[in-house]
Amino acid sequence: MSAVRRKMSWGRVFGTLLMYLIGILWVLPVLWMVSTSLKPESMITQAVPRWIPEVFTLSNYQGVLERASLFKWLLNSVIVAVGATVGVLIIDSMAGYAFARVNFPGRDVLFMMVMATLMVPAQVTMIPLFFMLNEASLLNTHLALILPRLGVAIGVFMLRQFFLSLPQELEEAAAIDGASRYRVFAQLALPLAKPALSALAIVTFVWAWNDFMWPLIAISTQDMYTLPVGLSTLAGYYGREYGIQMAGAVIASLPVFLVFLVFQRQFIQGIALTGLKG
Amino acid sequence: MKSFRFSKRTSDAIAGYVLLLPFLIVLVTVVLYPLIQGLYMSFHNWGIFGDPVYVGLDNYRQLWTDSNFRSSLWHTLYFVLLTTPPLVILGLLLAAGLNYPFRGRTAVRGMIFFPYLLTVSIVGIVWRWMLQRNYGLVNYYLGKLGAAPVGWLAEARTAMPSIALATIWWTVGFNLVVFLAALQDIPEELYEAARIDGAGPVKSFLRITVPLVRPTTMFVIIMQVIASFQVFGQVFVMTGGGPYGSTRTVVQYLYEQGFRYFRMGYASAIAYVLFFIMFVLTLIQWRIMGRRGQ
Repeated sequence: MSAVRRKMSWGRVFGTLLMYLIGILWVLPVLWMVSTSLKPESMITQAVPRWIPEVFTLSNYQGVLERASLFKWLLNSVIVAVGATVGVLIIDSMAGYAFARVNFPGRDVLFMMVMATLMVPAQVTMIPLFFMLNEASLLNTHLALILPRLGVAIGVFMLRQFFLSLPQELEEAAAIDGASRYRVFAQLALPLAKPALSALAIVTFVWAWNDFMWPLIAISTQDMYTLPVGLSTLAGYYGREYGIQMAGAVIASLPVFLVFLVFQRQFIQGIALTGLKG
Repeated sequence: MKSFRFSKRTSDAIAGYVLLLPFLIVLVTVVLYPLIQGLYMSFHNWGIFGDPVYVGLDNYRQLWTDSNFRSSLWHTLYFVLLTTPPLVILGLLLAAGLNYPFRGRTAVRGMIFFPYLLTVSIVGIVWRWMLQRNYGLVNYYLGKLGAAPVGWLAEARTAMPSIALATIWWTVGFNLVVFLAALQDIPEELYEAARIDGAGPVKSFLRITVPLVRPTTMFVIIMQVIASFQVFGQVFVMTGGGPYGSTRTVVQYLYEQGFRYFRMGYASAIAYVLFFIMFVLTLIQWRIMGRRGQ
């Protein structure tokens, strides 16, 4: 480390400054969003934009909360994201464990088949799903948004890889003590999988939270919108009222920002493990 | 002894299927069955009212001559070309820059990664505001440099590049994280040795980093092409496919046909063409991943 310090060349100083600069550049749109949301409407459309508002106001927040069911949308998003995350963790850990540790006929063929479904773009199944859920009278419900998320196989793959990496001796010892497969899974393997489970949880949560196209299709009434869909309608209704839009955007980013502050490490880990885009 | 082994094997087989069952049921219900149903629908005129009419390959034939579909393919390809190189190259360069220890490194990583967590509609409405013609921040600063104001999202020439710009801002942090993970596998001694040999940062980046992260780079490129090919939300929120359909991508077109005009059979055919393209791209990816495993 000291060698690194000593060799702190001009190149390194320049590189570091450049990184700071890019970092600042990257948060500017977010800062501008916050700044705009705190300005009275008359000062938003000014010839010379100001980063620090001359007059601070919360009227945009008041406006967006009065005119849009933001908290309702927030609640819908929470229900859907939590529901999807819990569901994915339960069924994916079971399946991942079975694929990694249990010997049963047809396992490898089944695993290949499950992995192959990862190639199917979501848009291909959306239209038939729309019909199926319509016939089951499930359109415009939370369940309609949660169910398709549970069929994504990436978590099964991720947890299988994790369970494969656990030492086999642990389970053999438990098996000799007479524990059943289910008990070994629930009481031994699952607690050990905590890091992998939390990485999967956080990734699933954010993907479900940010899902856009499917809720846009499956939800038809305003009170059932998730935040992303609800927010997109703000742009349509209040096209020129940027203060209102930005206030809505700030409120919608807050939960994700908090989750990110707390779980940054798990999230980064989750991405490194899956390497997949939502 | 023999019967004991047999019973363990049987109970294992049962346990395997019991543990697998919930996921398999969901998979069949929300992926496999809809997959077949979608293909079936693509051979029909399928509206929201009335009975579906079998039309064979007509939907696909019609797609072949549909100028809107063709242009949506071009727009999508244009978007892929606008976003993939910057997202891959910038992602790698930023990862290299953020792999060196310096004060505040974690904060800078977080700052670049954070937009990825924002939902697409936030990205869309923030950039619509940034790119607004009269009061947008972008035009203001460009104006200071002497440029005339541009209606970025209102002009066919600039709309798609503007969406691409917002997309790069939004998702480069993801590639950054994937590249960072790969960079951390490169032994520090290699750089140390290069330094002793008098190689500067640029040289060691080109001679050590780039060749050693090559498999990751290939992986990121394919993932990026697949993700960019499916672009929808940004377009929907920022331009709605306009102006004059100049930013209408394949998925946007699928959405319009399927859920605005309820031509479900036709939309299914679009989905299957998209699937075919994705399939080819994924096969290429598997080839590359297979090579990486060796």
